[in-house]
Formats: sequence, structure tokens, C-alpha cells
Amino acid sequence: MNSLTETKRRPTDWQGAEMQQRIARRYAAERRFKALGMAAVMLSASFLAFLLVVMVGNGFRGFTQTELPVEIDFPAVTGGASPSQFQGPNANANVQSMGLREIVDSSIEIQYGQDGTNLFSSGGWTAVNAMILSNPDIVEQKATVYLPVISEIDVAYKDAGNPEAEQKVRELEDKLSTGFNWNFLSNSDATDPMQVGIWGAFKGSLITMIVTLLLAFPVGVLAALYLEEYAPKNRLTDLIEVSINNLAAVPSIIFGLLGLAVFLNFFGMPRSGALVGGLTLALMTMPVIVITGRNAVKSVPPSIREAALGIGASPLQVVFHHVLPLALPGILTGTIIGMARALGETAPLLMIGMRAFIATPPSGITDPATVLPVQIFLWSDEVDRGFVEKTSAAIIVLLLFLLTMNALAIYLRNRFETRW
Amino acid sequence: MNDDQKMQEPSESVNMTDLATTGMTSDGGTPKMTARHVDVFYGDKQAINDVSIDVNMDSVTAFIGPSGCGKSTFLRCMNRMNDTIPIARVTGDIMLEGEDIYSSQMDVVQLRARVGMVFQKPNPFPKSIYDNIAYGPRIHGLATGKEELDNIVESSLQRAGLWGEVKDRLSDSGTALSGGQQQRLCIARAIAVDPEVILMDEPCSALDPIATAKIEELIHELRGKYAIVIVTHNMQQAARVSQKTAFFHLGTLVEYGETTDIFTNPREEKTRDYITGRYG
Repeated sequence: MNSLTETKRRPTDWQGAEMQQRIARRYAAERRFKALGMAAVMLSASFLAFLLVVMVGNGFRGFTQTELPVEIDFPAVTGGASPSQFQGPNANANVQSMGLREIVDSSIEIQYGQDGTNLFSSGGWTAVNAMILSNPDIVEQKATVYLPVISEIDVAYKDAGNPEAEQKVRELEDKLSTGFNWNFLSNSDATDPMQVGIWGAFKGSLITMIVTLLLAFPVGVLAALYLEEYAPKNRLTDLIEVSINNLAAVPSIIFGLLGLAVFLNFFGMPRSGALVGGLTLALMTMPVIVITGRNAVKSVPPSIREAALGIGASPLQVVFHHVLPLALPGILTGTIIGMARALGETAPLLMIGMRAFIATPPSGITDPATVLPVQIFLWSDEVDRGFVEKTSAAIIVLLLFLLTMNALAIYLRNRFETRW
Repeated sequence: MNDDQKMQEPSESVNMTDLATTGMTSDGGTPKMTARHVDVFYGDKQAINDVSIDVNMDSVTAFIGPSGCGKSTFLRCMNRMNDTIPIARVTGDIMLEGEDIYSSQMDVVQLRARVGMVFQKPNPFPKSIYDNIAYGPRIHGLATGKEELDNIVESSLQRAGLWGEVKDRLSDSGTALSGGQQQRLCIARAIAVDPEVILMDEPCSALDPIATAKIEELIHELRGKYAIVIVTHNMQQAARVSQKTAFFHLGTLVEYGETTDIFTNPREEKTRDYITGRYG
């Protein structure tokens, strides 16, 4: 640089007022950004906390039921049944044939008057059924069983119900108690909110997720590997890439229509089954796995491929011995996101008939089933106020399911993670 | 070339005097690899222009030349690593013991085992040291049992001068080693598949002088057991480790001959300018 330009340039005053001002502005900008960032984090954290508090607060009551004690003098009402009848292979049939419902009803009428049965949930006697099967000796004794009351009284006791129910609660105040609602964990859908359970929907979700995972994961991973490692880069593969990206953004209900048209109408698969639900959700999950899988495969350093090729590994060996293990953590991340979305999906399943009232848990992939989010949707639509807390309780079950699934996937991801 | 010849110790005097050459090829025994009129194109761009060269079993061949002169490209043609670049096209003949490596009969996977490669940046697999070495023998079925595999691993590491440093931690990750150790691990990995030729693409450019000295020492020791081709930017290194040197410039082979001749008495003006540091 010559002396002419040197002199033309104004000398830099690092200590000058203008410079100090610039520094102060820069610091202020940093502080502002930090504060904004923290505010954003706090806001989302408080939303989450609020959601959790409300859900747990409401949902917790869904796991409990209001009960009244009923004293049953088994030797008197059964006419001397022996415990041995309720053991062994014929136990179930013998319980069925003993007319337990009438026995329970008559005991209720003795203690709570002629209209006593109106206080109790109509399916409550099944609890006695289970009690005898688990402990046959009870039929030789006088036993006090706690049976769930009707939904109106349950609501009135826990919260605030209609005037009549409130009146009943005041009358029975000292007899009413709260117990854990085991039925909620073991039953399926029912018309009486005191008798509904989450088990059917839970099992439906589980089976559907397994179908989805078994289909979407291998197909998605293979597609990602093929597109990234084998496919020639030409217009066709570009088109496929664009299509997959678009597929990931398609509204989920459209996948439901697709499932309806293809799986049900064309292939004639059984309606409402976990098979069709799983297939439909797999269609939705696959693009997510393909996209994240391709990125994971792309981020495997080329030097590893070269190293493997350089000692004579075939392209297939390079992919399965080196690229896939290194890409697996990334692929699993995509799978977690996709599966979490699939688990929470309602809309596409409505289209393929998984919104039906299903009172028995599915025992296979073709049995009519429903899933947790659809069950939540159905219960939230019910008129009976007893369903409100059941809805919240079902949401808690769904969230726990989701957390367990994600925790498992994160554990697997960390196990496969390679430390460089 | 049969096994006896492969294992014979080359005598220093033969290398230095009898092999004095005047052409693009040498007359020092049967060439392990020969290239004739090789052109390489990347799309429309020609990267290598009519290169003919012989690589001998008993000598280390160095490729020198300024950046972008095509020496690495040519090296990667010798075990068909350029196949992984879709737009690369190779014409002419490259022979490994008289077999055209670009013919349809040649199995490229086996070729790469026979013509091993060591890369510029050390690239051990993110696996244990043992698995790094054992991987090649495993996929090629070179060992029938655990014991044989252990032997291969040990002898490969010994040949690469790494055994003493790693014998107590074979299950540690290969990536936990220092840069120089990683590069020797990569050389051991190449040796483990029992190659005939080892191609080294600037193996010391990412290493410090001490690690570089160890690799150079290793190259000396490996000479004669394998035909070695090394690409280097460092002319002192070429002078130290090689018996034959090829000078590439703008995709052509300018001069190929005894290293001593190239460095003391180059025939071509360009070679002289380059090795005296006038450009490059």
C-alpha cells in the first residue's frame, strides 16, 4: 500500500466515543437476544407445565371410582355353594350359572331399599364375579364388597353434579368412598362411563403401531439407502425425491381416504382392523423415515466409504457394514418422529372405520379395533359427564405410551451411536 | 509374477544402476502394473492425457507434480476407485500382471483387495483396532478361524510397526489413536488383505514430521513385499522414499525415471523448473 492511500484514510480511533457507543450497542443487542430467547423457552415450558397440570389434575380422577359398600351373605344367597365349584376348569361356567347379578341386586335391595339398584352402576356386579374367581373361599363367608355407583353420583361426589345426584351424595355421604378403578385399565369401551376401560384401545394402538413399524421402518430405510447409495442421479430420481417430500406434507386425512379406497375397497381387507390402520399409518410414516434416513446416510463421511471400498468391500458390504450402522442413530430419530406422529393420529383412522364402538379388545391384526387417540375423540364426544374425566385419563395413558415408546427409541439410538 | 519373485529382496545396486531408463517405462524386471495411453475424463474435461507408465514390484514409485496435475486421479484409476465418480471415464489400458483391470472379466471388488489404497486423511473405521484390521480378511474369507485371524491381525500390525503400541488395547476404537498411528493402522488394514500393490495418496500430508518419518520408514520396510505407488507433494519425501519418480504436469506424464536421475539430472525443462522450486 503506498503512502498516498495511507494518508487519505482516516486514522482508526479504537478508544473514541463513537467506538464505545458501537460496543455498547452490540452488548445491548446481545442482551436483548438472550432475554428474548429465554422468554420463548419460558413461554413454551409454561404451556407444557400448564397442560400437564390440567391433564393430570383432571385425568387422575378418571382412574378412581366412587363406591358404596354392599354386604353379601354368600352362604345364605347362594344356598350353600362350596369353594371347590369355583376352582379348576369349570370355575368360569359355574360362576356364570349362579345368577350372580340377581344375588348382588338382592343384597343391594336389602341394604339400600327397593330402589337401591338405581344407585349402582349396572355392570358393577362383574367385580364380584372376578372376586369369586380369584378367591373362591369367599362364598362361605359374609363379605363386604365395594361396588361402583352410577355415573351421576360419581360425578357429583368428585365434583359437582345435577341437583338430584347432589342430594343422593348428601344422603350417602358417610358411606361413599373412593377406590382405584381397575376396570379402567382392564376393560374396553362401554356405554356406561363407570364401566369403560382403556385396555381395548391400548391394545389396538399397540398392534397398529407394530404393523406400522414393521412396514414403514424396513421399507423406509431400504428406500433411503437405495436412493442415496445406489440410484443414479437423473430426472426420475429427482422426481421421486420431490414426490416423497410432498408425500410427507400431505394432510393425514387424505391418507385415510387412500386407505379406504385402496386397502378396503380394492383389496377388500377387513374394515376397522389394526392391519388396515397400520398400513395407512405406515404410508404416512414412511416419507418421514425416508427423508430423515437419506439425510442420515448423506452425513456418513465419504472417507468411510472410500476406506471400505479401498480394501475390497462390495457396495452392498459398504452399505450394510459401514454406512447403515453409522446412519442408524439418525434414522432412528426420524423413526421416533414418524411413529410418534402415527401414534397420535386420528383423522386417517376415522376414514377406515376404526371409530366404531368396540367393546372387546382385538386379539389379532384383522379384529375390529380402535386406537387411543380415536378413543379419546369418541369419549370427548359423549354426552354423559362421566366421560370427561375418562377422556383426560385416556390422554394420560396415551402420553405415557408415547413417552415409553420414545424412551425406548432414544435408548436404542444411544446404544447404536458411534463415538468418533 | 509368481510368489518367489514377489518375495525376493531387491538389491539396492540393481535399483540404482541397472534400471536407468530413458523412456516412459522401465526395464527393471517384470512390471507389476502397466498403463498404456490412459486418458481420463471428468465429463468433458480431460484430467489425464495419454499416460503410459510401468510400476515395478521391487521399487517404490512416487508421483509428483503441482496440485491438480492429475497424479491422484491417475492413482485412483489404478484400483478403479474412480468408478465411484459417475462422470469419470477412463480410456486406454491399465494392466495388473497382464490382465486389463477395466475389462468386464475383472471383478472390481477383488481388484481393490489386490491393489490396496491408503488415503490422504487417515480414515480408520469407527470400530475397534482389531476389527479395523480384521474387516478385510473377514469379508474376503482369508482366515478360517479365530486363531488365524488373530495371526493376520498381529502380523499386519507388526508390519505396519504399530503392534508394540496397540497390542494391549486392540479393543479400543481405531479413531482414538493419534493421527500418525491412525495412518499406520490404515496401512496395516491394507496389508491385512494381502495385496500385491499398495497405492498411497499423499499419506503424510495430514501428519506431523515425526509421524511422517515413521510412515516413510514403514514404506522402506514394505518395499519389495508389495509394489508401492505414492503420491506426494513433498519432493524431499519423494527423493527419500522412492526409487522411481514420475512427474506429472497438467494431466500429462512429463518425465518418468530413476528418482536419482529425476532429482539430479532431469531431462525435461519443466521437471527441472518444478524440482528446483521455480513453480508448483
